Amino acid sequence: MTAVLQIRDVTLGYRELTLFRRLTMDIEAGTTLAVLGANGSGKSTFVKMLLGLMDPLSGSLNWPKGRPREIGYLAQMTEFDRRFPIRVRDLAAMGAWRGFGFRSGLDNAARDRMTAALDEAGVLDIADRPIHMLSGGQLQRALFARVIMQDAPLILLDEPFAAVDQSTEAHLLSIIHRWRDEGRSVVLVVHDLSSVLDHCSHALLLGGQEATHGPVDDVLTPDRLVAQGYLSESQASWMFRSSPKPQEPAHV
Amino acid sequence: MFELLSEMWSFAFMRRAFVVTTVLSASVAPVGAFLVLRRLSLAGEAMAHAITPGIVIGFVTAGLSVMSLLVGGLIAGVGVAMLTALLARRTILRSDASLASLYLIALAVGIFILSAAGSAVPLKSFLFGSILGIDDASMLLVGGVATVTLVAFAFLLRPLIVSTCDPVFFETQTRRPWLVDQGFMLLLVLNLLAAFKTLGTLMAVGLMILPATAARYWASTITAQLVLGFIFALSSCWIGLTLSYLFPETPSGPAIVLVAGGIFLISAIFGPLGFGKRARKPVVSSDLSVTQIQQEEKAQ
Repeated sequence: MTAVLQIRDVTLGYRELTLFRRLTMDIEAGTTLAVLGANGSGKSTFVKMLLGLMDPLSGSLNWPKGRPREIGYLAQMTEFDRRFPIRVRDLAAMGAWRGFGFRSGLDNAARDRMTAALDEAGVLDIADRPIHMLSGGQLQRALFARVIMQDAPLILLDEPFAAVDQSTEAHLLSIIHRWRDEGRSVVLVVHDLSSVLDHCSHALLLGGQEATHGPVDDVLTPDRLVAQGYLSESQASWMFRSSPKPQEPAHV
Repeated sequence: MFELLSEMWSFAFMRRAFVVTTVLSASVAPVGAFLVLRRLSLAGEAMAHAITPGIVIGFVTAGLSVMSLLVGGLIAGVGVAMLTALLARRTILRSDASLASLYLIALAVGIFILSAAGSAVPLKSFLFGSILGIDDASMLLVGGVATVTLVAFAFLLRPLIVSTCDPVFFETQTRRPWLVDQGFMLLLVLNLLAAFKTLGTLMAVGLMILPATAARYWASTITAQLVLGFIFALSSCWIGLTLSYLFPETPSGPAIVLVAGGIFLISAIFGPLGFGKRARKPVVSSDLSVTQIQQEEKAQ
C-alpha cells in the first residue's frame, strides 16, 4: 500500500488546550478512515489540519507523493448559506474552479465531467434548480457532486450523513465505495456508532487527549470507547451486549 | 411634458448628471449585490459613516477637491476596515460589533472637526451630495472608480462567488482568502467615495443596497442578480433625476434613492421570491418529479 499522507508524532490543539498527543499514522490510498470522538475531541480540527488550515503544535505531516493540488472537502452542512442565489449546476461547478482570473470558468471536458457528477450524485434532473428550493438531502447530494468535481486523491467529509435520510445515505455511501475502489483515500468524520462504520476500513478515535488509530474492529472496542470518553460504561455494555440480535419492535 | 424633458436635455449640468449616474450605477451595482449576498448590507452603511472623518480632514486641510476627498476617504476607510479585521481576529468581538464601534468613533471625530471648522463647510451638500454641480474632476473620479471596479470584478468575480456562497470551502481552495475580503472592502470604500460626491454620505449606500435587495426578489442566479441590480440602479438614477428636474424643489440624491425604494417595495410584493409567492425556504419533497415541479411553477 502507498501512503498518501504520513502523520508523524503529531500533537494537535490550541495554545491552552491540547486535543491529542503524539499521533503517528499513515493514510493509505484506497482506504476509508472513520474519525470518531465526543464533542470537542478535535474531529473537525483534525480535518482542518489535513486541509492545511491549521498547523499541529508539534510533529509533521509528510506527503510522499507531494501535497495534492486538490483535497476534496465537504464541511458540515450547518455552515452553508442556503439562501445564496445559485443553481445546483453552478454549485457543483465550484469543485472545478481554477483560481483567480478571467478564464477561470469550466472548459468543455469539465462540462462533461459535471454532467456525469450530477448524474452520479442523483441531482441531474434538478440541476437548474436554485439551492434554496432543495431539501436537506438534495443539497447534500449537490455538495457531493461538487466533491466529485474536485477529482481529488484525498477526500475529507465532515459528518456527511448528519442531516440526510437513509436512502440518501445509502446512495452517498455508494459514491464513497467508488472513490475507494479508484484508490482514493476518504476520511469520514462520523457522529455516532452506526452502520456507516461497516463501510470504513480504519478508525481514528479521539478523546481524553489521546488518539487511537487502527482497523475499525481493533479501535472501536468497548474498553477503548469508555477509556477515551466516547461512551459511558452502561452505554458500552448495552451496545456491545453479548446477544447482538436487536429485539423486534412490537407492533402496535 | 415633452417640452420640459427636451429642455432638460439642453442643460449641460443635467446631461452631466445623467452620464455620471449611469457610470456610477454600473460601478456600485455589483458592489451592492455582493454586500447584500455577503450579509454586509449594514456594514456598507457603517463604512459610509466611517470615511467621514477622512473626507472632513481632507476638506479642512486641502479644500473641497477630488484629490483631498479621495486620499482622506481612502485612508479613513481602509484604516477602519483593517482595524475591524484586526479586532475581529484578535479579540472576542465579531466583525459587526468591531465595525460598529469604530465607525461610531470615526463619525464623531468627523462631525467634531466639521463643527470646529465652522460655517465654511457646505453641510447640506455633504449630507446629500451635489449631483447637479458635477465638475470635470468629479466625473473623472467616478469614471476612474468605475473602471477599477469593473476590471477588479472581472478578476474577482468567481472567487467572490465561491467565498460568499461557501467561505469554509473557499478557505480550502486558496492560500490567499484575505485577498478577496480586503479587495472587496477596498472596492466598497472606492465606490462610496465616488457615490459620496454625487449622492452625499447619507444617500451613498442607498444606490448600492436598494437595487441589489430589489433584484434579490427576482433573481435565482448570480448573473440575474447582477444584471437586474444594474438595471434597477440605472432606472432609479434616470427616473430620480427627471423627477427632481420636473419638481425643482426636490433634491436629486434623495429622489434617486426614493425611486430605488419604490422599486424595492414593488419587488418585495410582486417578485417571485417576495411576499405571497413561494416562501423563502420551500422544502420540496425529494421524490417530487421534475414534471410535477414544472407544472406547479406554471400554475403559479
